[in-house]
This record gives sequence, structure tokens and C-alpha cells, in this order.
Amino acid sequence: MKFSAKFSYVVMCLGVAVLTATGIGVFTFGKPPMTHWVLILHMMAAPVFALGLAAVALTWADLCRKGSTPRLGAAAKVLFWIILFCGLVVILTGVLPMYPLFGTGGQRLFYLTHRYAGIVLATAILLHLPALRSRPAQ
Amino acid sequence: MGCQPAKDCKLSAFPPIFVASAGEFLKYPKKEALTVMLPAAKSSKLKPGKCPSGFLTLFLLATLFIGVAGAHAEFLKTESRTPYLHNIPLKDAEGKVISVPATVGDNGKPQDPKAPPYSTEMTCGKCHDYSVINQGWHFNEASGIVKPGRPGEPWILTDPATHTQIPLSYRGWKGTFKPSDLGLSDLDFLTNFARHFPGGGVGDPDKIDPADPKMGRMQITGTMENDCLICHQAAGNYNVEARATALKGQNFRWTPTIAAGLGTYGSFRNAGAMADQWHPGKPVPATLPAIKYNRAKFDADDNVLFQVTRRAPSGNCYYCHTSQTALEDARWHSDQDIHLRAGMICVDCHRNGLDHMIVRGYEGESKDRIISEAAIALRARIIQRDDAAISSDDAHKLARRQLESQSGMIDTLTCSGCHANGRLGSPRPIHKGMPPIHFQKLTCTACHSGPLPESQPEIVQTSLAHKLGLPLPARGKNMAPVIVEPVFLYDANGKIAPYKMVWPSYWARLKAGKLTPLLPADAARDADLPKQKAEDAVRDPFNSKPLTDKQIADALESLAEASTNGEPVFIAAGKMYRLEKDKLVAEETAAAAPYSWALAHDVRPARQALGAKGCADCHSGDSPAFFGTTLARGPVALTNGVSKEMWQLRGEDKTWIKAFALGFEVRPFFKLTLLGAALVVLVVLVHYVPRGVGAITAALSAKKPPQ
Repeated sequence: MKFSAKFSYVVMCLGVAVLTATGIGVFTFGKPPMTHWVLILHMMAAPVFALGLAAVALTWADLCRKGSTPRLGAAAKVLFWIILFCGLVVILTGVLPMYPLFGTGGQRLFYLTHRYAGIVLATAILLHLPALRSRPAQ
Repeated sequence: MGCQPAKDCKLSAFPPIFVASAGEFLKYPKKEALTVMLPAAKSSKLKPGKCPSGFLTLFLLATLFIGVAGAHAEFLKTESRTPYLHNIPLKDAEGKVISVPATVGDNGKPQDPKAPPYSTEMTCGKCHDYSVINQGWHFNEASGIVKPGRPGEPWILTDPATHTQIPLSYRGWKGTFKPSDLGLSDLDFLTNFARHFPGGGVGDPDKIDPADPKMGRMQITGTMENDCLICHQAAGNYNVEARATALKGQNFRWTPTIAAGLGTYGSFRNAGAMADQWHPGKPVPATLPAIKYNRAKFDADDNVLFQVTRRAPSGNCYYCHTSQTALEDARWHSDQDIHLRAGMICVDCHRNGLDHMIVRGYEGESKDRIISEAAIALRARIIQRDDAAISSDDAHKLARRQLESQSGMIDTLTCSGCHANGRLGSPRPIHKGMPPIHFQKLTCTACHSGPLPESQPEIVQTSLAHKLGLPLPARGKNMAPVIVEPVFLYDANGKIAPYKMVWPSYWARLKAGKLTPLLPADAARDADLPKQKAEDAVRDPFNSKPLTDKQIADALESLAEASTNGEPVFIAAGKMYRLEKDKLVAEETAAAAPYSWALAHDVRPARQALGAKGCADCHSGDSPAFFGTTLARGPVALTNGVSKEMWQLRGEDKTWIKAFALGFEVRPFFKLTLLGAALVVLVVLVHYVPRGVGAITAALSAKKPPQ
């Protein structure tokens, strides 16, 4: 695996770690809605995650397609595509509400979707890390 | 009690249907019984001076029933959406119908149309339960029967000569004084504020104590009854200026008649002057001056046409509730409230039932409501009429439940209550691009009400504070009390809302940590205050020139010499001024803190709301909502007062606000980065997912090779 793939994965994981801590953390341990410095930290981590995810998409996609090198197990591959999909949803539901396109109903839908897609994304990455370590049986 | 002379028997305002049976008489109060009978008397061609014996029997029987059963009066209702033509007889304070004498008397001499002033309690109260109405929001301030609710506009005791401006309220809103705290009696309160006070409440006490040198005066001046016409007149001929003049002279008893234009003063101008001649223990004059009525107002049956409406026109509300930021001749700049522009009137939202508990329209108001016992009793009476079997106790319980349930209606008359449900065709708010957190952090009014915020809040004048509605020399922007808006503060629900703000200003004595304000008369007597020059008084009739430090120090010195009962201090513009070793010092104290109350009007439409031009309306480094400077206003130089930015007033973290605002500067790059990344991921997904799905379906459909 190339350095660029590893680096982009690390960047994405760092972004997700901050986003999870500030996002899910507030709802689990704090008092929603997210505001003040927590919100600023969340917003600052978002581009890091997005750029990392884009880089991961470019560097990992071919590794994770069906029939590619057997270095990655099926679970790792499936989780990768889940991460990619949820990452896309999280980004779009985060950025689209910033445009004057959707009213309060749409905003709420985006907000909830962002929240639940984020939870799935964080869970998928948590599962993906051990899945990367386990090599498929030769 | 018997049949009165023919003059009384000629009442004819009541159709014969009211004379159905003896049982019907039970529905009317004793003093109404005669009135009810009389139409029949008329229909039976009763001759002047005679009462038929059958009728007398019926009357006595009815009186007996009333006396025995003690049945409560029923108020007559039309129950129709057709407005009732109020062509009705006037009644005086004794409940007697007012009948103007004929132009020429029996002796052939011309007669003046003189009669006592009409009483709204007796005239309007015939059909509209005055006791219930008198517990409404406009009248119950001192009754203690309601919760104070959200702090509202106070009465501000203002005296230009002593530079006094003290927020007063009977409701005990934090930051206001109760009149009694300052030693002001109810009569003193009326002397200052009756001009914009609708009557009732403290103006119309249940009992007058003849031993009270102030209240006892009401035996002569009369009480200030709740003047229904000030809100409900629809003809536009109610004269508020004449009313204010009448009230200034303490002509309480005569005021409704004068203001309604029904007549003029017969032979006097000032009941207050008459009351000055009286003191406790001295008998009250047996006869009081009469009104010289305008005969043209009376029809042949002594009925008077009142052009009134249940739905008070907005213009009437504005007499007391005008807020004017466009001062002097700039009123044409104002677009007015969008709701009024759309054809609504104030009472479409600010509704009330008979109890006159007008919906104030703020979030959570229903929790502040208390159902008055009078309203319950009224409803219980109706329930018992519909169901004779129900006990009085059960009827009261049911009435309370019904009224409490109906108070839920209040919540549907807030901004969101109406617009979320589309009441009255209200447009459903869309708020495109606005994150929902704004609805948790801001009231609707924060973005939609009052003037758009600028680097400093604007000066606003109100009816109650600046006597708007009454002719005065042009009110300059420095006319006391100086009130500013919008100031963005947190409300009781933790949401940011726009407020009006005023800073108290008064001379006081500080003793053992307790501050006792001096009334203007005491301050004028004891403090060496600069006298306004005559030529200045013409130019500046409101004495708005600020005091210098030296003038304040001189006044404090003279106050110290006048009395040793507490250290003299001056409260102004957010600070307390005092002398320390003959040197004037000023410090910010809680006692000098401003009083603020929420503003809700004029409402601006969506495209003129704060935020309509984008997030930077608020989220920028110089946003008025966060960085607007509120300068404390008062009778001192502006530079001497307390100055705070909005974030300081709200106790917020400036660094965070600046950082957050900076985030909006880089937001375009932020969005571009995220959208670019999303595009890359999307392309990858679009490229690989169909292939993957194809491979999976191919694998699933492929036949297994034979073993």
C-alpha cells in the first residue's frame, strides 16, 4: 500500500476523530445543540475529514473493488464503501444547508441525516480499523 | 320602591319581548326590574303619571321573587355577528337613566339640557359585565389577581426640571418601582398618567375611604371608570385631548361624557379645584356640577347612538401603544407593521374574551395566565343556565376546566402559533438556508421586529412615556425619558430577543445600603438644580440639556445640607453619582441598571428581516446584533454614561463571537473545499459502484461448474 493511501487514511481518521468527539460527544455527554468553541472545532475538522476522504476514495477505491488484490478482506472492502457513501452524505448534508436552497423542513431533514450518517460513518471506521489488520485466508 | 313618576316610566329602549313572565324578572338585577317593566307600560298606552294596578302587582311580585331568590342578573346578548346598534339610554352613576330636560319648561322658560355625567359602568355595564371586564389586563395591574407575566412597558415618572425618570409599575416587574414604594398614592399615579390610562383598576376603587385625604377626593371628582369608548369607539370622534385635559383637572366623573362629545362642562372646569376645598371630615357637596348635554345626541326616547365596535380599531390601540423611532417629520419613512399593511388589526392577534385578558402574544404566556374568579363565576352561571341540574360547585369546577382549556388558545396566537398553523391565511415561514438552531436561540422578533439594528440602537418614543397622541411642542430626540431600541438581550426562555431600554434617573438618599428615590417635588425643593432660562425654555421646552458634573455636585451638596437622613446620590445613565470628600465620583451599580422590555412591533416582512441579506447580517466582525454599542442615556453627557456592546449586555464571550464571525469570512472556501471533496467521492462511487454491483450480480447468476 502506498504512502499516499496510508497518509490520506490517517488524515481522514483524524478528521473523523475530532468530528465524532465534537458531534456525537456533545449529544452523548454535553448539551445539544453544538455551539461555541465546540462548533468552531467541528467546523475546522470538517475540511480535514473531507479532503482526507476524497484522498482515500482516490487511493483506496481500486484496492477495495471486487476481485482486486486479496490483501484486504471482504469486510474491509464492504466497510470502505460504506465509509465512502456515508462520508459523502455527511459532507453534503453539512454543506448544502449553508445555501439558501432548503427551508426549515429540509434543514431539519439534513440535520438529522447528517447526525445519523455521522454515527454510521464513525461506527464503520471503528470496525474498519480492525478489519484492515485481519488478512484474508490464502 | 314603587312605580316612579311618568318621566321615569317612559323608557322605551327595550322591546316587549323582555316582558314575558314573572320568571323573566328573575334574570334582572333589582335596579333593572323597573326598566324591564316599562316597555310594557308603554305598550299598554300608559299615561303620564299613572301606573296600571296589574302592572304594579306584577312588579311587586317580581321584586319579591328577586328578593327571595337573590337570583343573579343576566346580561343581555345578541349572540350574532351582526354588530348590535348601540342606540341606548345613558345612565348616571346611580343607575338612573339620563333624560335631558325639554327645551322649554312647564313654566314656559327655556331650560338648559343639564344632567349628571353618564357612567360607563351603569350604561355599558347593563349588558357587559363591568366587574369581569374590570379584571382585564388593562385594569388589573394593582389587583394582584394575575401573574405579572413578561415585563412590559412601565409608566415612567418624568420630571424635566429635576431630570427625574423613574420606571413605575404596579405589577412589580424587576427594575421598576411600585408607586407605593415612592410614596405615590393611586391618585398621584392618576394625576401623572391618567392621560393614557383607560380607567378602571386603581382608577375605580371598589370603596372610597372618606378618611383618606387623597382617595377621599374621589367623593367629589368621582372615580375614573373604565372608559369603554377609548378602545371601542368606531366613529373617530372620541376626543383624547379633551379627555386628557379633563383628567388633568381630575374631572374623573365627567371625563367619559366630555371625551365622547356628548356635552360640555355646565358651569365648571376643574373638579380637582373643588376637591382642594375638601378635607377629611368635611361634608361632600350635596350637588355636583352637571353636564350640559348636546340635545342633538339624544333621540326622542333619550337614547344615544354609540358607534362602537367589539374589534377595537388599531388607531385606538395606537393612542397608548404607539412607538415612534422616526422622529420629527420622518414618519413617512415608516412602512408600519406588515400585519396592518396586510389588512389585519391589532385585535386579530391580541384577542380577548369578556374578561378582557388580552393576549399579549409572547411564547409561554399561557403559563402566566390565571383564570379570574369573576370569569369563572360568569361561566358557571351560563353552565347552570344550560343545565339546571348541575350544582353550583360542579358548575364552577366545569367552568374553570373549560376556561383553562381555552387558555391553550393563547399559544396559537403567538408568531409561531399563527404562522405554523396558517391561521388567518398567514404565510408559512420557509427560512431557506437558515439552520434550525436559530429557532432555538432567537425569538421571531429578533429578526423581524423593530427597526433594523445599526451601530447604535435608535431613540424611540412611546405613547406612555412621551405623551404621544397629545399635542405638545415637537418632541426632540433628547426629550426625557430617552428610550432606545433594539437592544438584543436574552429573554426568560434563553432566546435572544429585541428590547427597548431605558435608564432610570433620580435623586435619592442612600442609607444602610438602601436607596430611597426622591420624588420630583422633594428633589426640586431640596436640590440646588440649575433653573432653565426663559429663552431656553421656549427653544427646549423639555429641559433636555444634560447636567454637568459641577451641577450634579452642587445639587448633591445642597441635598446633603437639606437633610442628614441618608447620603444623597444621583442615579443617571447607568451610574450612581456621589460625593466622596467633596469630589464627585460615579460608578456603575445595580440600582442604576437599565430597565428593558421586549419589543414586538413593527413586524418586518421576510425580505426585510435580519438575515435576509445573508448570514453576515449578524455573523460579521461589526454586526450590530453583537457589536452594536448601547450608550446609557440620561441627563448627563453621553460620554459620562455606561457604554456596552451587545455581547457585553448578554454576558457573551467576545473572542468566540469574533472567531465565529471570522468563520463566515472563510466560509466560501470552506464550502468549496467540502463540495470539491464531495465531488471526488461521488465520482469514485459512480465509477466503482455500478461495476461492483455488476460483478456481484454476475457472480450470483453464474452457474456453478459441474463437479
